[in-house]
Amino acid sequence: MRLLLVEDDLMIGEQLLDLLRAEHYAVDWVRDGEQADGALAAQQYDLVILDLGLPKRDGMSVLRGLRAQKKTVPVLISTARDAVEQRIAGLDAGADDYVLKPFDLDELLARIRALLRRASGRAEPVYEHKGVSVNPATREVSVQGQSVSLSAREWAVLEPLLARPGLVLSRQQLEEKLYSWKDEISSNAVEVYIHGLRKKLGPELIQNVRGVGYRVPKE
Amino acid sequence: MSASLERSALADWWRRSMPLSLRYRLIIFLIAAVSVAALIQGLIAYRNALHETDEIFDYHMRQMAFSMQGRFGSGTVSVPLGGDKQPFDFLVQAWALDGSPLLESPLGGLLPQRAVLGFSNVDSYGRQYRVFSLQTSYQVIQVAQDMAVRRRMAGELAWRTVLPIALMLPLLGVVVWWVVSHSLEPVSRVREQIANRAADDLAPLVAADMPSELGPLVAEFNALLHRVAGAFEAQQHFVADAAHELRSPLTALKLQLQGLQRATDAQEQAQAAARLAKGIDRASHLVDQLLALARQEGRSLAVLGAHDVALDALCRDAVVAVADAAGAKGIDLGLGRCDAAQVRGQSESLAMLIRNLLDNAIKYTPAGGHVDLSLRSEGSRTVVLCVEDSGPGIASAERERVFDRFYRSPETTALAGAQGSGLGLAIVRAIADSHGATITLDRSPTLGGLWVRIVFPVQA
Repeated sequence: MRLLLVEDDLMIGEQLLDLLRAEHYAVDWVRDGEQADGALAAQQYDLVILDLGLPKRDGMSVLRGLRAQKKTVPVLISTARDAVEQRIAGLDAGADDYVLKPFDLDELLARIRALLRRASGRAEPVYEHKGVSVNPATREVSVQGQSVSLSAREWAVLEPLLARPGLVLSRQQLEEKLYSWKDEISSNAVEVYIHGLRKKLGPELIQNVRGVGYRVPKE
Repeated sequence: MSASLERSALADWWRRSMPLSLRYRLIIFLIAAVSVAALIQGLIAYRNALHETDEIFDYHMRQMAFSMQGRFGSGTVSVPLGGDKQPFDFLVQAWALDGSPLLESPLGGLLPQRAVLGFSNVDSYGRQYRVFSLQTSYQVIQVAQDMAVRRRMAGELAWRTVLPIALMLPLLGVVVWWVVSHSLEPVSRVREQIANRAADDLAPLVAADMPSELGPLVAEFNALLHRVAGAFEAQQHFVADAAHELRSPLTALKLQLQGLQRATDAQEQAQAAARLAKGIDRASHLVDQLLALARQEGRSLAVLGAHDVALDALCRDAVVAVADAAGAKGIDLGLGRCDAAQVRGQSESLAMLIRNLLDNAIKYTPAGGHVDLSLRSEGSRTVVLCVEDSGPGIASAERERVFDRFYRSPETTALAGAQGSGLGLAIVRAIADSHGATITLDRSPTLGGLWVRIVFPVQA
């Protein structure tokens, strides 16, 4: 899953970037409102973590601009502005959730998962299909009751497919969710991870639609 | 000296013995004044009445005497001019020229047989009589009157003058009470307004319908309230800003701690610990700066305590203090011209001012750049402290805003390796303000970066 982190504070941004990457999210980090606009125009993100007090262009105006363009990407506001009116204004301007600084990392991650799940149209946290059960919150995967461990990259490929069962994602789309700007991409990386996933989870979970991409069947 | 002492002793006594209430004071004074006036009026009325009764009764006595000029027969006639029970005012006696009595009032014997012609006052048996004696061709006639009668009548007249005032006195008291109470009503209104307000209610008092004695007091009080409200608001903003600003370092600390907890190998742990240490440094620096600003802002030198401070020594100390930081970044830090200069002020504050300017310059100047500090006396009235650097400078549009607390320039924030507290220049401004110094920011003509000029006044 590819996230955009909009955060002007150097220390927070730096640490959050590492922590989110450790969770296998592909994260791009920008430090002001104008850069945020640019990133949002150039790239399809699964979620935006948006600080409000930004240089050059306020977070609220970034959010309004995003919603004015009819973009539905989930937006999680992370800010120090704690007044109730500000929270209401943020949510009414199109944000999907609001966390107050200083927040707990686990809570932030849970909110990110919830928003991603909701964005994929699912309410139940665990995906199940023909004996394969996947829990994105705990990263627990089991096949016929046998627990299976996935590597970080494998997980990163599986998660976006699981997010919208039935939807076909192209190799390029999967790559985008796998790598942020800084990462080097090897040409056949996605195929390698898909191959590994099929070996672990059985051939039926991830289906190849030839010439189009990959998908996970609906539950 | 002794006169003034006496006067102050008198004033003291006066202050102690007077009731504190204006109302009681006014009532006591007004009633006393009215009473004294009534008394004086009564006395004058009594004197005038006495004088007039004298004239009237003298005239009557004379007329009475003249009316008896005719010749009486010989022999004594006792005229029953009233009995004991109804004492008559006048006594009449007549003597023949040979001294034999002709006419005698019942109490005539009280009068001496002596006749001073015309008016005379005679004391007899403890009473004072007014006597008129007239000698005619046949007899001597004496008409007398007890002076007590005259006094009684004068007294009655005077009493009649004073009585209405005396009767009116309670009414007057009530009227005075009412007028005074009514006049002082605005005072109690103001008192109630102040008594009934909440501790944090600094809205001005209602000044409408205030008498001219009270109006200025209320206006002054409102002006004070306004100043207090301003300071209060500034304080609240400061606290709100500070609380808000503390959230960022706290968020960073929390994330850095969680980073440390999640670190899996020694290298990650070391990196996470280093970040956490930096985060703690940043948070404590912010707290230090907040405290420094809170101490400086809005304080006058009178409160902080001013001394003669040698700025040149402070400049040398500051350069030494930041030399390591500059060296670490490969910045050429130097003290240029440094005139011996003394300003009136607070040594620690001024040291902090110089230190903050140098810290800023080093922070925002790229590695390998230059930072210059100089101090020069210009004339005998001013000392100019300059800090120049070869950094990016501050755009002219931003030069006012950089002094706002927690303002960070978006351009320079991106450049600096670590974020500042956004308070450095706010503290510099607060210190400069309290020392009566002016700050100007410009582009350095020699180094191309920021040029901070602080002009201190020098008291002759």
